[in-house]
Amino acid sequence: MREAVLRLRYRFWPDHLLGEILSKRWTETAIPVIVLLLVAIAFSQAIPGFLSPNSLADTARQAAEIGFVVLGMALVIVVGGIDLSVGSMFALTDFCALFCLDVLNLPVPAVVAITVAFGAALGAVNGFLIGYLRLRAFITTLITLIIYRSAYDLLLFDYSNTIAAAFPDDALWDFMGGGGVFGIPSVALLYAAVAIFGHIFMTRLRPGWHITAIGGSRRSAYNSGIAVRGTIARCYAASGALTAVGALFFAARLGTVGGDVGVGLEVTVLTAAVLGGISLGGGRGSVTRALVGTLIVLLITNGLTTLSVKGGVNRMVLAGILLVAATIDIRWLKNRTRIIAKVYVSPTYHDMPALPGARIGEGTRFAQNDRLKDVTLIGLGRIEAPEDVILDRHDNLYAGSRHGDIIRFFPPDYEKMEVYAHIGGQPLGMAFDRNDNLYVCIGGMGLYRITPDRKVEKATDETNRSFSSVNDDSRLRLADDLDITDDGRIFFSEATVRYEMHEWPVDGLEARGNGRIICYDPATNTTRTVLRGLKFPNGICVSRNGQSILFAETWGCCVKRYWFDGPKKGQVEMVMDNLPGFPDNINLSSDGNYWLAMVGMRSPALDLAWRMPGFRRRMAKRVPLDEWLFPNINTGCVIKFSETGEVLDTYWDLAGVNHPMITSMREHRGHLYLGGIMNNRIGRLKLEGADPGFVQYDYRWGKKP
Amino acid sequence: MIAALKRLGDHVLGRGEAAITVPIFDGALKPNQLLEEAEVVAQIEGANDLASDGKRLLVADGMRIVALAGNGDGTERVRFDRTVTALCALPDGGVAVALDGVEVRVEGGTSAGGHWTGAAGIPFHAVNAIACAPDGALVVTDGSQRYDTERWAHDLMDRGATGRVVRLDRGTGQGQELARRLEYAFGVCPAGADIVVSESWRHRLLAIAPDGRRRVVLDRLPVYPSRVVAAAGGGFWLTAFAARTQLVEFVLRETTFRRRMMKEIAPEHWIAPRLRSGESYLEPMQGAHLRTMGVLKPWAPPRSYGLVIRLSAEGLPRYSLHSRVDGINHGVVAATEVGDFLYLLAKGPGRVLRLPLAALEKEARA
Repeated sequence: MREAVLRLRYRFWPDHLLGEILSKRWTETAIPVIVLLLVAIAFSQAIPGFLSPNSLADTARQAAEIGFVVLGMALVIVVGGIDLSVGSMFALTDFCALFCLDVLNLPVPAVVAITVAFGAALGAVNGFLIGYLRLRAFITTLITLIIYRSAYDLLLFDYSNTIAAAFPDDALWDFMGGGGVFGIPSVALLYAAVAIFGHIFMTRLRPGWHITAIGGSRRSAYNSGIAVRGTIARCYAASGALTAVGALFFAARLGTVGGDVGVGLEVTVLTAAVLGGISLGGGRGSVTRALVGTLIVLLITNGLTTLSVKGGVNRMVLAGILLVAATIDIRWLKNRTRIIAKVYVSPTYHDMPALPGARIGEGTRFAQNDRLKDVTLIGLGRIEAPEDVILDRHDNLYAGSRHGDIIRFFPPDYEKMEVYAHIGGQPLGMAFDRNDNLYVCIGGMGLYRITPDRKVEKATDETNRSFSSVNDDSRLRLADDLDITDDGRIFFSEATVRYEMHEWPVDGLEARGNGRIICYDPATNTTRTVLRGLKFPNGICVSRNGQSILFAETWGCCVKRYWFDGPKKGQVEMVMDNLPGFPDNINLSSDGNYWLAMVGMRSPALDLAWRMPGFRRRMAKRVPLDEWLFPNINTGCVIKFSETGEVLDTYWDLAGVNHPMITSMREHRGHLYLGGIMNNRIGRLKLEGADPGFVQYDYRWGKKP
Repeated sequence: MIAALKRLGDHVLGRGEAAITVPIFDGALKPNQLLEEAEVVAQIEGANDLASDGKRLLVADGMRIVALAGNGDGTERVRFDRTVTALCALPDGGVAVALDGVEVRVEGGTSAGGHWTGAAGIPFHAVNAIACAPDGALVVTDGSQRYDTERWAHDLMDRGATGRVVRLDRGTGQGQELARRLEYAFGVCPAGADIVVSESWRHRLLAIAPDGRRRVVLDRLPVYPSRVVAAAGGGFWLTAFAARTQLVEFVLRETTFRRRMMKEIAPEHWIAPRLRSGESYLEPMQGAHLRTMGVLKPWAPPRSYGLVIRLSAEGLPRYSLHSRVDGINHGVVAATEVGDFLYLLAKGPGRVLRLPLAALEKEARA
């Protein structure tokens, strides 16, 4: 009963998504968006008409004004600084605009130009001090805050009456202050335009990337040749200019200068930026986050004001929110990778039928023997990690090595060897096509092709991205084994889409269907995923009927058949179920059957652990990888099976000295060649009664001599 | 309240008490291959314990006691009707043995015929070590009240705490319990007025005073200690029959898994320490056991291990003899000195081993 509940819970609850979502960069934006929605819902419940069009238009007008300032602040924070002087700059530029308009009586376009330039100049002072003289951003902008505020107070004393008495009559000025298009305030329209440009600027343009790079690591940015000082200075100038734009609209809307203009604005703006998810540490932020933060802060302040909360309380709430947001920001940034690492591994329920015996005397088809005792060894100590082996019609032996090479051994004694081709990644499964191109799956890289004149070409390294996957699964992570159909299409397995090649034990711990089978068509140069959700699909072999492939699922302990052509096209059938071990590569045998390598054997303890996901999850967290309970891949064997999945023969190395693990085998002219990804040797075994002329891919392509 | 909450938090997060750290082989326990390279004197599959009558080595082999000459030739001394699970040579020429763990009997010597089937009203269940105190009394450890000596792994996986130390007066025939509720008592040796006892599942040595007070002599061992015997020249030989691993420590904290494992899986395939390993592909494999380029790393987490520790008179390790993960001489349960040699019983492969004491002392000084 408990087992049934467990099974259902792990079948329908997607544990693995949490880690995948958290490792996405957009989670840091998604959380403020959720907060925004919650705030909006809460206030619209508490205050009638809070989200009515009128109220929204009013909110949008204020939001855009502050939004410009927040954009400037965001820019400065992303580059790794802070700007406390925005409130004072806001006041000064507000004064500048009204002074130009009311005292100097300049035309509005000139007012706009002068004010923005003035704001940029004010910001440039900060930028010069911080960028070029390398003063501390915090103390510098604190000082300019005081200086600008004092200047504003002095100017206010002289001109406030003149400005208050003036009533400018200008259509453009009025449009800026209160006009709009289809009910959308003018300021909001401009803000939208600036925000869209800002987004493109930060994500798609070179200076935007430079800004993020400097904020992420100033030293690295400098070492990569980015003009650090100039970029920082320009960011502060831009902050001043954006503040000036906000102040312009503020001036147009209210037309007054008062003692309290811009007082405490820096706290509001800072709260908005941090709350939106712009990290105070620098290097992490976006326009969307600035916008979301602005809206949250504005909704809260407006909401509280509507609820007639005292001004002091209002401020205190904002300061409290800033404190909480800054704390979360710091803790999250510090622990992000650790948290993701902890929740990413998500074992699932994996039930296997009772383990069939394979020991001597247990009387099953798999019974152990010592027939691999007498293998002769090729390249002992000279080749490392030959996952697959293949021979051509001239009896040359090819095998991959963990140094990223394809090694070729020469007949007749296979003593002489050479690097046939260097690819750079661990070569796994191999196959020859009709034109003697050697196709190789490379772990971490994709499907590669080596032409007969030894040129290395990439066949494919990506497939179509699936809609249901949170992780981007278009890039190939662990292409494993392949075979080629009569019409030249290449079917290959990708063992897992959640882990890298060297992390295969983690995939085994999860025991989820993370793998897939992909088809690459050289004729059209297209790659499509044909099967998903397989438990570590591994060996692939086109069956003799030419319409289906046989494939092994290593953690599924089974061999299945997929029909890619013919009347059953698209169907998957079970061929061999509940194997006592972990199947790996599959190849043709000369007598019309198939060879299957068993890379390891199941153990009762692991079978039990596979039924207890919680146990494995805790093990992953608390026990170091070297001490994990692993699939036992220290003992393996080769079996021969028929088209219908009947086990015909087995070959074991009882002592496990020469071939503790076998990942592949290839029959060639009366011999069986053995490879193993953790071995430093290739085995060669004389087969009794095998066809002495059998060359797999000559037979395959009808070139039988 | 706060302590309870902290414990709960630790349990959820795997910290504090729930952490699965295992001390490393360091200092005097630094690994070597001395035990692996020891001379094999005899192959005795059913051997359970060793003792010395001063001239010859006595081996408890199944139901009999064999006197072993230096060349490995054995002559049968006594034969019993049950398996001998512990053996002690008495100064008066007799031997004290435990039969099937449920009876202690004296054969030969001045108190021949003395026998006990329990003490303090509780019958013996798994007597696994006997020592003779200076006053002539026998001190025995009864490992567990629930499982016999062969099924010690069951006791570990059941988190057994039913071991006890009993003193048997050969003169009066009375039994007195010196300690109870030990987490598997396995090995006992008198040290002055105190009795030194191995408490295997807590990885420590205790000294028990005549009034029953306990003192920790040595703890936080990276192994499960077994029998302890006095060494000539002061100090002790402490054998360890298995080493701890983080996976086993983790399994010991996973109650549900442990229960299901005990119910559903054959004991030889459990995630538990064993006296020997690597025999079947059905045994659980851990990450570092992966044979890479034909090599099994000796530092891999040991499913079975061979270790003998030479302790000083104060009970501090001086040096140690190892047979590592890639070796064979695992599961050492007994040690005794005869003449110039240290004899050891590696129960894993069923071997009696010996090492010249002079060479060991030289090794210790090096």
